[in-house]
Amino acid sequence: MPFTATPLIGGDAFEMAQRLALEADAELSALSEPGEHLAALRRQWDAIVELGWMATLVTEEAGGAGGDLADVAALACGAGRGGLALPLAMCGVVAPALLAAAGARDTLAQLADGTARICVILPDAACDPGTPPLRCGTTLEGGVVAVETPPDPTHLLLATAEGDVLLLPATAPGITRTLSLRIDGRLAADWHFAGVEPHLLARGLAPQIERARDLGALITCVEGVSAMGAIIEQTIAFLADRVQFNAPLASYQALRHRVAEMYVEYENLRGLVAHALRGAASADALPWRDIALAKLRLGEAGRLVAHETIQMHGGMGLTEGVAAIRLARRVMMAEFEFGDRSFQAGRLLARAA
Amino acid sequence: MAVDYEAFQRDVTEFAQTRCPPEIRAVVASYRKLSRKVWQPWQQILHAHGWGAPSWPKAFGGTGWDHQQRHIFDEVMAECDCPPQYHHGLRHIGPVIIEFGTAEQQARFLPGILSGDDWWCQGYSEPGAGSDLAALRTAARREGDSYVVDGQKTWTSHAHESDWMYTLVRTSREAKKQQGITLLLIPLNAPGITIRPIRTIDGWHHVNEVFLDNVRVPVANRIGEEGQGWTYGKFLLERERLGGANVAPALKNLSRTRDLIAQELAGEAHRAKREALELRLLLAEAELHGALALGKEAVAAVMEGRPLGLLPSVMKLSTSVSHQHVAEVAMDAVGARLAPRFRRIDGSGPNAEAPGLEWVQNYMYMRVRTIYGGSSEVQKNVIAKQLFGS
Ligand SMILES: Cc1cc2nc3c(=O)[nH]c(=O)nc-3n(C[C@H](O)[C@H](O)[C@H](O)COP(=O)(O)OP(=O)(O)OC[C@H]3O[C@@H](n4cnc5c(N)ncnc54)[C@H](O)[C@@H]3O)c2cc1C
Repeated sequence: MPFTATPLIGGDAFEMAQRLALEADAELSALSEPGEHLAALRRQWDAIVELGWMATLVTEEAGGAGGDLADVAALACGAGRGGLALPLAMCGVVAPALLAAAGARDTLAQLADGTARICVILPDAACDPGTPPLRCGTTLEGGVVAVETPPDPTHLLLATAEGDVLLLPATAPGITRTLSLRIDGRLAADWHFAGVEPHLLARGLAPQIERARDLGALITCVEGVSAMGAIIEQTIAFLADRVQFNAPLASYQALRHRVAEMYVEYENLRGLVAHALRGAASADALPWRDIALAKLRLGEAGRLVAHETIQMHGGMGLTEGVAAIRLARRVMMAEFEFGDRSFQAGRLLARAA
Repeated sequence: MAVDYEAFQRDVTEFAQTRCPPEIRAVVASYRKLSRKVWQPWQQILHAHGWGAPSWPKAFGGTGWDHQQRHIFDEVMAECDCPPQYHHGLRHIGPVIIEFGTAEQQARFLPGILSGDDWWCQGYSEPGAGSDLAALRTAARREGDSYVVDGQKTWTSHAHESDWMYTLVRTSREAKKQQGITLLLIPLNAPGITIRPIRTIDGWHHVNEVFLDNVRVPVANRIGEEGQGWTYGKFLLERERLGGANVAPALKNLSRTRDLIAQELAGEAHRAKREALELRLLLAEAELHGALALGKEAVAAVMEGRPLGLLPSVMKLSTSVSHQHVAEVAMDAVGARLAPRFRRIDGSGPNAEAPGLEWVQNYMYMRVRTIYGGSSEVQKNVIAKQLFGS
């Protein structure tokens, strides 16, 4: 029996999420127009809201399901195997963590029931060189780019390096946005602000903001590990199937060893992420160091697995038509979410003492 | 008469700097994928100057340059951001027609290649025949003065903007699969040909599937003998073995990437990341300098008529990976702000793409370096076979 990856967290939620993600991927991969892609993402988003995914971490008194991190992780495990192109970590984890910390009960309820589609802007959001960065004074000025967003965002939830958390209607006067699709088919927005009135939710939340980001990084790692497991399965299946020089590629030792290397990288990361996930569920304080290490490894191991699957697919590895290759792009993208390797290394080194 | 290579280099440099239109150099400098729109006018300029075919003999309209001159030409062109010449006509099928074509075929096909009026693509690979090219199955059967061709080619670069496809087809089934293969020149406007784009991960359109449904090709379009196509294909590859000796484009990309890092990660806040990426670039640069030195050795060997041995495989393996490393460094520098802006949703037109998106596209595209032109695994098999003597 060829390899099948064991999910970090299995069960019904995992199965359901996986099924949904695979169907969503099949739908998107048949579309070539960005506009059609956006419309499909909106339908898919509505479907997961309907299923209560956004309510998972929202407390029952705020109208949510009162679930815990393991519940979201199970969804992320399933979503990761299909490369679900929706902001699960950002909207399902980071947004409720920030809103809860800021005491924004009403918005939490709207997040849970889907009336609010929230685009979260974290400190260090990217900005184009030579253009003014985002500044929060008496008004908001400048811009941020390449921010992951749900389709048709209704709100902007802005967390600043100083620890302020702001909530703005996405259509407030002075806000303009440009939408793009990322390399992994998810949605991103560039936001530009000119004389926008800030609506402050709370101040002094710097530690909570960092915690929210780390939760996002952790769930991204869970998705990433899942995607890598699926990539390895699909690479094995491809090599078993593809014949060159009168033999299946799977019979060439050079390629078998490379798959073995992918597996070692995958297992190592899986162990690390499982450990961080357990720590996050049990300890009072989030094990930020374990999460930073896991995110660092995801950058390295994820890229290796992505590059190897492309290589072993030959020309097919350059095409969007292959599911494993779409997953490879998802894993490549994950490196740039919630702090890349440099960012995580910087934190780890700064606090090593 | 001995060639004055320094004077030659000065001439070429002056030509490149003064005669290559800025808009063409801008495309090359910005790292974008080249298309016929860019290549063709450049070929016309070179041709008008008598430099249309650096690797062809004078009798066929070439420059008659030696290998050292050609190497200098390629290097200078890369350093000056001039496009490398489109290779399928000039470097691939042209020399085969010169060597194996009839006088009539030479008169018919070579001028169009030289002037840039005719555009060629390579129909070798098939869905079932990639690394194992000899497994190709597209079949041609003889009917009077024509072959009737049936089958499918894939990964055909630039087929959508080409006039002709030089194509390997099977004309008979033999015990050894390298036999029974024939080289045909097929006009792409012939009835029965369908070209479909392949969507690649870089977001550019450059490769295609080409379907051939009972396409009639005159026997006059066959190069050389029926059944000897593999020999001509190998001749073509032999001629191309020095292609990897030109490391200049890789070094050029490296210095562009160094500028990118300096710009993108300026300031104290980015110092650690900047230095880490600079170190990785330096490691790639060191390897590229090794390849540069080997390239000079290879040119010298060819000039003196010595065999190249494993040099071409070594060069291909190491430069392809260096190219990828450089592209990864660039991706790490800009990925956070550009990888999410891969396809604009609202709005199109010339300004629709985020400036600098080419870095992301190139990172994706560079993965092909270790796949096409003899994959890394195939090159390693070649090297190992020779090292082990079996
Ligand atoms: C962007 C692009 C442009 C191209 N342009 C053209 C073109 O213009 N014209 C044309 O004819 N072709 C073109 N090609 C095709 C290219 O030459 C093939 O992709 C290449 O030969 C590899 O074949 P394949 O894709 O079938 O991969 P496969 O041969 O199926 O290889 C898959 C993997 O198995 C490995 N492998 C294969 N055999 C062995 C072995 N014996 N031992 C160990 N590992 C092995 C390979 O290295 C690779 O990693 C292009 C391809 C791409 C992607």
